[in-house]
This record gives sequence, structure tokens and C-alpha cells, in this order.
Amino acid sequence: MSSAARGSLELSPALREQVVRIQALAREQGLDFPQIDFRVLDAHDVNGVAAYGGFPVRYPSWRFGMEFERLEKTYQYGLSRIYELVINTEPVLAYLVNTNSHLEQKLVIAHVCGHADFFRHNSWFAASDRGMLTRMGRHSERVRAAMEAHGQDQVEEFLDLALSVETLIDPYLPLRRRLGGGAEIPPAVPTYDVLGFLAARARLCDWQRELLELVRAEAYYFLPQRMTKIMNEGWASYWHAKLLTGGVLCDSEVIDFADCHSGATADSPGRINPYKLGIELFRCAQEQGLDIFRLRRIHNDASLIDLLVDERFVERQRLFLYGQNAKTGRTEVVERDPGRVKAKLMQDLSWGGLPQIELVGVAQGGDGALDLLHHHDGRDLELEAARATLLGIERLWHAPVRLSTQESGEPRRLVAKNGECTVEDFEPAA
Amino acid sequence: MLRIEADRARFREIVRGRIRSDLKRYLSTSELFARRGERAVSVPIPQIELPRLRFGDNRKSGVGQGSGERGDAVDCGEGPPGSGAAGEGPAEHALEVEVELDELAAMLGRELELPYIQPRGRHSLLSEGGRYDHIRSRGPDALRHPRRSFRQALKRTIASGLWTPEDPKVVPQRGDFRFRADRPRPLPHSSAVILHMMDVSGSMGREQKEIVRIQAFWIDTWLRSQYDQIEVEYIVHDAAAKLVDRESFFHLRESGGTKISSAYELCLSQIQTRYRPEDWNVYAFHYSDGDNWSARDTERCMTLLRDELIPRVNQFCYGQVKSAYGSGQFKKDLDDSLRGEERLVTAAVNDRGDIPDAIRAFLGKGR
Repeated sequence: MSSAARGSLELSPALREQVVRIQALAREQGLDFPQIDFRVLDAHDVNGVAAYGGFPVRYPSWRFGMEFERLEKTYQYGLSRIYELVINTEPVLAYLVNTNSHLEQKLVIAHVCGHADFFRHNSWFAASDRGMLTRMGRHSERVRAAMEAHGQDQVEEFLDLALSVETLIDPYLPLRRRLGGGAEIPPAVPTYDVLGFLAARARLCDWQRELLELVRAEAYYFLPQRMTKIMNEGWASYWHAKLLTGGVLCDSEVIDFADCHSGATADSPGRINPYKLGIELFRCAQEQGLDIFRLRRIHNDASLIDLLVDERFVERQRLFLYGQNAKTGRTEVVERDPGRVKAKLMQDLSWGGLPQIELVGVAQGGDGALDLLHHHDGRDLELEAARATLLGIERLWHAPVRLSTQESGEPRRLVAKNGECTVEDFEPAA
Repeated sequence: MLRIEADRARFREIVRGRIRSDLKRYLSTSELFARRGERAVSVPIPQIELPRLRFGDNRKSGVGQGSGERGDAVDCGEGPPGSGAAGEGPAEHALEVEVELDELAAMLGRELELPYIQPRGRHSLLSEGGRYDHIRSRGPDALRHPRRSFRQALKRTIASGLWTPEDPKVVPQRGDFRFRADRPRPLPHSSAVILHMMDVSGSMGREQKEIVRIQAFWIDTWLRSQYDQIEVEYIVHDAAAKLVDRESFFHLRESGGTKISSAYELCLSQIQTRYRPEDWNVYAFHYSDGDNWSARDTERCMTLLRDELIPRVNQFCYGQVKSAYGSGQFKKDLDDSLRGEERLVTAAVNDRGDIPDAIRAFLGKGR
């Protein structure tokens, strides 16, 4: 039995009543979502589930233990706590935390309805495997079997290698595939699906290839959540506010609701609060008379911001650009120019917030070296981490790996060869 | 065990492995020293994140929301409570992991191959006055334990078949009463005292004191793991010696001449009055840069050591820290005139890299 299942409690009759009521109200308002399976957990167990990315059946890894350690510490120090977890499966799984007040539970239930509707209708999730819970369970069995056969240390080491390249995937691949393209295996070079290429073409033993494939499957499953974080939270917050003020609250709860809602959607200087920015985007769209249901279907964070953020929005939301002062080393407000703020926001959100890395060539014959290209957009890579990553790819590929990038405007090439990674200047081919 | 606990245990195991493999480095820095608590040190673990291709300047620039003029500082701390959610970005800051001092000592022992210490024979004493964490069936009314007494009465009632759920009545009888009691506890039977003596004359600079501080930390950590109870005393000296607290021991800077015998005399009087060798395992450490005021005083030191101090201690350790001005003569004098004294250990520390060797020399005898 999994830790979540063991620790999870049934909903109290009062909460169950609220679930029925709020769901009915949400459907009346036009939200459309599959069955939602609500569970109640204590704070400790919810941290455990969150550490596994929402799937308590996941394969064993020290990384989840580390994440748990971090969540427990921040919870103990009162820095942050989790109110709810929603898992994109069918039926949707929703974990409520038993330390929430009754009002908070109502808010969270409404919030969850918003997420569930978003998961079902946003097109970036169209290719998601809704049976992921079972699939993760199967993955876990495979990892355990490999550990039994080849030893925990060896399997863990390989998993770490695989996980360090899990971000090298093509965010648009699942959609293209639905439209009937990009289905070649191995992926045709050039490709952004570096992980897919390695899983298909690298010289690996069977269990290693299987692990690489399952890491890739999970990476593609989590990818749309990264690309729609602001929208998803915004949509859910928009609806919890609307549903609760539209009849769910009793009079005595209005102040507490306002407090709780504004706490979650408060400004947090220095970084974007996705709840806040998201809800404002949908409100702004509604003011302009746009169909918000359509927007939640077709957009991701970057494209929605491109559509809606203008001079007025930047001013009203008091968005600003910050940067590090070269003299003092202090992080400070740089400017509020709407055009630049918007450009930076979109840059930070595009490509899932990750550097765009393309596999551009595989040397035929010779050393069989792999050529990667970083599409540089003004932001340098962290070179130390890049070198370590490249060494990992070399171990997977069993041949040299090269990565072309830039550093402070100068072209650079990282070459991982024979377990050493050097950085060299080079003249990019014209 | 819950699954997440298994993964957490694995994570902690990996962390310990890292600390172990980095112990050599920790041995010559004050990194751990600064983070010491009562029973544990918290060790910052850098770079346990998997390497990934990621942007280098992510945290240095971005878009924020709120008030503030151009040039105003932005607080990049955690978000407001409640904004954390599943799938939030990975932890960016170094994680700190608590390691018990005992465990750290065990790592140190393995790394430097230190033998365990056989404490000198001690009779173990039993003392009254432990804590009242025991139950007895006899005792004064003042110590009566109502809940336990009731439970006993209930048990007896049920066992004798007198219990009726409709009329739940329990009448305690004489034999049902239970009383709190104390348990005699053994006195700690192996106690040790560490006497750290340091030369704080003008020639001992910041770096020299830092080296002493790091050494003292590891020595304390090890000896603490070997004894049930440990006391630490700090003595500083220039031309005169005095007892100080821990804080001043590490920060005090005096100037003037050096009369080492003054420290040895104070050390001896401490042992004679407070830490009699019949009851205590005594460890004395003296750190200096090797300069003494006069050959006459050095003579006096040798006599004190040979006749008074060394016979009373488990071990006397002299660590000579190299400084820009010190001649290093004192170690030579010690080695020459007290050759063959088993309980005297001397070590020279030229820089931080020599710390592990010095610790091994001091603690490697298992005494």
C-alpha cells in the first residue's frame, strides 16, 4: 500500500456536501471536468506526495527524499505550506490538507475544479497520458527490478545520468505528433528531442534503454505543466474567487476569504506569483470581451502573455524589470518600460523556461561525435553545470559530445571527450 | 517504513558519503565549526543538484511585480506563504543537513584511523536522585499516580467479573495504588577534562588562532565521543596566564612577552583543585608559535612538565603553529629534554594542510 493511500482519510460529511455543491455550481458556470477523487492528508504526508511530483507510486530515488527534506524544513520553519495537490489523471486526484480551515477547504475545492477543467481542455495537455498513475507504478516496478538485478548503486547512478538530460526534449513534439508529424523513431536529425534520440540510438543495455525511455515519458508528461503554470493557476484562482463569492460563502466568511485569497495572490517582489499574474490575465481578457474559455483552450503562458500584456497591463500590474547592479552586486529595479518588461517575461517563459538545445549532427564514421547547438538568445548557460552535463551525455553516448554556445557574446564550444570537458573558442560556420 | 522515508534515508546516506569524502577539506576549514549546535552540526551541502543545461543568470534578472523606483532593492526571498505548490522549480539554495557530533566523530575516527580510547579504570558510583520516571506499588501519598492507580483498579474489576457496562463503577482498593518512583542512576563513570592553553602574545596572528580553533574543534569532537562526560577549560597566556571562556579564547588578542610557565602553573593548579586525576581523564593541549621569554622560563616549563603535569595527565600535547615571528625553539627544547616521555606529543603545524596530521599525532595513541 502506498504511503498516500495509507495515510489518506475520507472526507467528512460536511466536506463531501461542499464538494457536491461546489462542483454543481462550477458545472453551471460552464466548467467541464472529469470525476474528481478528493482525499484528505496530513501536512507530513502531503509533503511526501508532493516530493514525488504528486505520484506516491513513483520509483525510488534519493532526489525525492531530498525534495521531501526541503518541503519538511520549509514547512517546519513556517516559510510555506501546501494547501492542495491536483494530479492530472482520470479521475483527477486531489489531495486536501487536513490543517486547512473549513473555509480554506471550500476555496481549495473550487480551485481544484478549475485545474481539472484546465487539464481536460487546454490543448497542451491533449497528448497527456491520463492513466499516468498506473504507468508510474509500472515504471517503479521496472526500476526496482533493475535495482534487484544490477544493484542499487549502479541503477541509481544511471538514473541520475538520465535525469540530468531530462530537460532536453522538444516541447512541441506531443502536439506535432497528434497532428501527424514528428513520429520518427529514432527522431530525425536535427531534433530537439535529444533524450529521445539517445534512448533510440545510444549503445545501451536493455535495462538502461528502458530507464532512459521511462524518464523521457515522465518528462513529457510533466512538460505541459511547466509551460502553462501561470495560466493554470490563474484559471483556478479566477474560478475559486468567482465560485466562492457567487454563493458558496456565508456572510461571516467573506473577510476570511478575502484574506486567504489575497494572501495567495499577493505580489511577491522579485519573482512572479503565478496565481496573481494568471488571475489578472484572465480578468484583463474578460474586460476586453474575449472568450476566456477559448483562451484557456489554445494558449500557453508565453502566448497568452503575448496576446494580453500591453502598456496598460504592465502599468496597472506594476510590473518591472530587475537586474543586478554591477557595482554593488545588489538586485534592484531596473526599469518599467512596458515593451522591455513584456519581452523579458516572454523570454523567461518561452521553451518552458529552459535553454533551447538542438541536436544538429552526428558524425558519420570517425569518432561518431554528437553535435549540440544552444540557440543563444542573450542568456548564457551556466558553464560549470553545462560541462558536467556534457560529460554525462558522453557517458550515455559512448563518444565525444560537443556543444556550441556563447559566453558574453563570444562563441564557445564545449567538448566532452574521454571523460574530460574542455571549453574552446571557435569560429561558427557561416 | 513509508516509501518517502526510504528515499529520505537514501538521500541522507548519500549526504553522509559526501561529507566523509570531503572530510579532508572540512578538517582544515572553519566551515563546520561555525555551524555547531549543542548536539549536531548543520552541514551545507553544495551542488547535490544534478547537473543540467540551464541559464547562468536566471536569478540576476527577471520580471517582478509591485512598487519600487528605479534603483530600489528587490527582495528575492521566498514568496508569500501559500504560494508554494507542487511542481515548483527545484531548490536553488544549498540544503543544510544536520549531522550528529557523534557521527562526525566516527567519520573523523575512520578518516584518520584513530584508535578508541581506553579510559583509565574508574569505579562507577550510584547516585540517588535520578528522575521520577518509574512506578512502584508502594510509596508516600504525595507521589501517588492517579491514572496508573485507576487503571490498576479497572483491570482488577474487569478480571474479577464485577464490571458492568451499564453501571461502570470502579472502587480502588489498597493494592491498586501506584506511586511514582525514582530510579538510581549511575554517575557518569568516565569523565574527561580538556585544558586548552594558547599563547596570545603579539606574534600569534589571526591565521594562527584560526588554526588553533579548527584543531580544538576536532579534538573536542573526538574526545566528546569517547567519554560520557566532558569538561573543557580554556587558558590564555602571554607573560601571565588566565582562565577565559570559549568566546574570548578564540578572539582575544593580547600583546607583549611570553612566559609559558605561567600557563602550565595555572593548568596544574586547575588539575590539583578541580580535576583530580583519580576522578578525571585529563587532556592538556598547548598551542604557541614556539617563542618563550627566556631560557630560564623554558627550564622551569620542563621541570613542571616532567615532575608535575605529565604524571597527572592522560596526555600532554604541544602544537606549534608557525608564525612570521616565531623561532619555533620551544618544540626543539621539549623534544630534546623530554625525550622518551610517552605521554608527551608534539606536532608542528606550518599551515592548515598540516592540521589532519597534527590531530592524528595527538589522538592517534588511543590514550
